[in-house]
Amino acid sequence: MALVLDGVAFGLQLALLATGLTLIYGLAGVLNLAHGQLVVAAAMVGAVALGAGAPVLLALGLAVVTAGAAAVLLDVTLLRPVYRLRGQARVLLSLLLTLGVAFAADGLLVHSFPFTRLNLSVATPSVELLGVTVRSASVVASLVAIVALGGLVVLLRTTRVGRAIRSLTQDEEGAQLCGVDPGRTRRLVFVLGGSMAGLVAVTQGLVSSVGATSGLDLTIFALIVTVVGGLGRVSGAVVAGVLLGVVHAVAAFHIGTVLTFVILLVAAIVVILVRPSGILGGAGS
Amino acid sequence: MLTVEGLRVAYGDIEVVHGLDLEVAAGEAVALIGSNGAGKTAALRAVAGLEPGCSGRVRLAGEEITGLPAHALARRGLVYVPAERRLFGAMTVRENLVLGAHPERPDRDRLARVVELFPRLAERRSQPAGTLSGGEQQMVAVGRALMRRPRLLLLDEPSTGLAPVLVEQVYAAFARLREAEALTVLVAEQQVPAALQLADRAYVLEDGRIQLTGTADELTDDPRVRRAYLGLT
Ligand SMILES: Nc1ncnc2c1ncn2[C@@H]1O[C@H](COP(=O)(O)OP(=O)(O)OP(=O)(O)O)[C@@H](O)[C@H]1O
Ligand SMILES: [Mg+2]
Repeated sequence: MALVLDGVAFGLQLALLATGLTLIYGLAGVLNLAHGQLVVAAAMVGAVALGAGAPVLLALGLAVVTAGAAAVLLDVTLLRPVYRLRGQARVLLSLLLTLGVAFAADGLLVHSFPFTRLNLSVATPSVELLGVTVRSASVVASLVAIVALGGLVVLLRTTRVGRAIRSLTQDEEGAQLCGVDPGRTRRLVFVLGGSMAGLVAVTQGLVSSVGATSGLDLTIFALIVTVVGGLGRVSGAVVAGVLLGVVHAVAAFHIGTVLTFVILLVAAIVVILVRPSGILGGAGS
Repeated sequence: MLTVEGLRVAYGDIEVVHGLDLEVAAGEAVALIGSNGAGKTAALRAVAGLEPGCSGRVRLAGEEITGLPAHALARRGLVYVPAERRLFGAMTVRENLVLGAHPERPDRDRLARVVELFPRLAERRSQPAGTLSGGEQQMVAVGRALMRRPRLLLLDEPSTGLAPVLVEQVYAAFARLREAEALTVLVAEQQVPAALQLADRAYVLEDGRIQLTGTADELTDDPRVRRAYLGLT
């Protein structure tokens, strides 16, 4: 039971990480390989602000804003040529471009912040949950993730802008013919996806810590969850995140953490073999 | 309502519409007829803002709209219904219709009016649009365009994939709309009889050039049109 709760808590972080990536992919056709670096950039800004004596909420707010702003900056600058292409060509060019961004950002972050870590896990008390003792930091992190994911789902399902986002994800030209502005909606989605990455810095900072070199691992986690959830599917990413989180916790306990990625990849491969279009099957967003 | 002057559309190095001039007056229905590959779709797409590389001048109700992107034109009331329909297959019929008026708030009266025009859609409201039959999908596509109360409706082959009975039904709906709302329509069509019955005037487009133009009655009686498009002698 404790393992499962641990797994769900970690899975919610994975879900938060992957929804940002999958949302951007679904709408813009860009698979952002620098997604993990957005988390790291947010973490570094948060850590520096905290170190400078900023109040916690302000520092964390700055962290989230940083990731959202970095994402939209990427959209309106380097990614511009990508949008001239369609379909597979667009995805491929976006992979190359964002891989370059990931390397550059990694170098810059590691060089600028070699010893900085965002660590919010100040000796938090433990609480009883379902007869199991869990760290309250983990509960808070999970609640943040649940509120953010729930908010995103409500936004997508019930608001006009959410409907516009879903329409663009399904048929770009059809959406344009309905008066949906693709560029503006895309920028909004980059802000949303980037901000979700920024929130991951916060929740990870609560349960463990984020350092300058964490970017690549975070991107790999995000990619695995996104693929298992079905590319571009927010609900799939949430389900896949929680599922893989539990797999990860159980495997880490019984086998050890060395093989983490291998075990997650095996789990991902099994899911994809059984359900090629993602864990929820079918099509759509 | 619509004035097109010297419209040229090219794909890569190949120009497929060579300086098209065309006019649609307010309240008028105009047909654009021509065989496969004549350039009808290319011309409509360019007018709708979907071919950014095209050249020429386009005005809507006297206002210069050349070069505006598709979403801006839709918001100005120039609404294009492509032959492929481009519905949002995973979204419900109702959501598809409501999106037609984006970014405006969904208008209940208008929705009721559109559903009244196509009663089949009432039964299908909560069904994903992708699961509808071809005819029903065409109704959603037209209904979605009508949600905005368009000033000009551009229709590309609304008969695509429909059985003859359904073609008649869809065109009957257009005729009713013209009466009820003085709708202005430009329709590209290969089902020439249906289009000429609806339209006041028509242009015959071949190889990207207007070959012939006149009232629908004149063209229906024209021996060239009868031979080439009506299968008559
Ligand atoms: N995306 C494209 N890329 C290259 N060529 C194109 C493209 N779309 C259309 N064409 C070419 O442009 C010409 C005009 O095509 P268009 O689709 O406008 O014809 P149409 O009159 O609508 O024909 P149909 O009645 O078959 O729909 C054709 O020769 C076609 O091959
Ligand atoms: Mg055509």
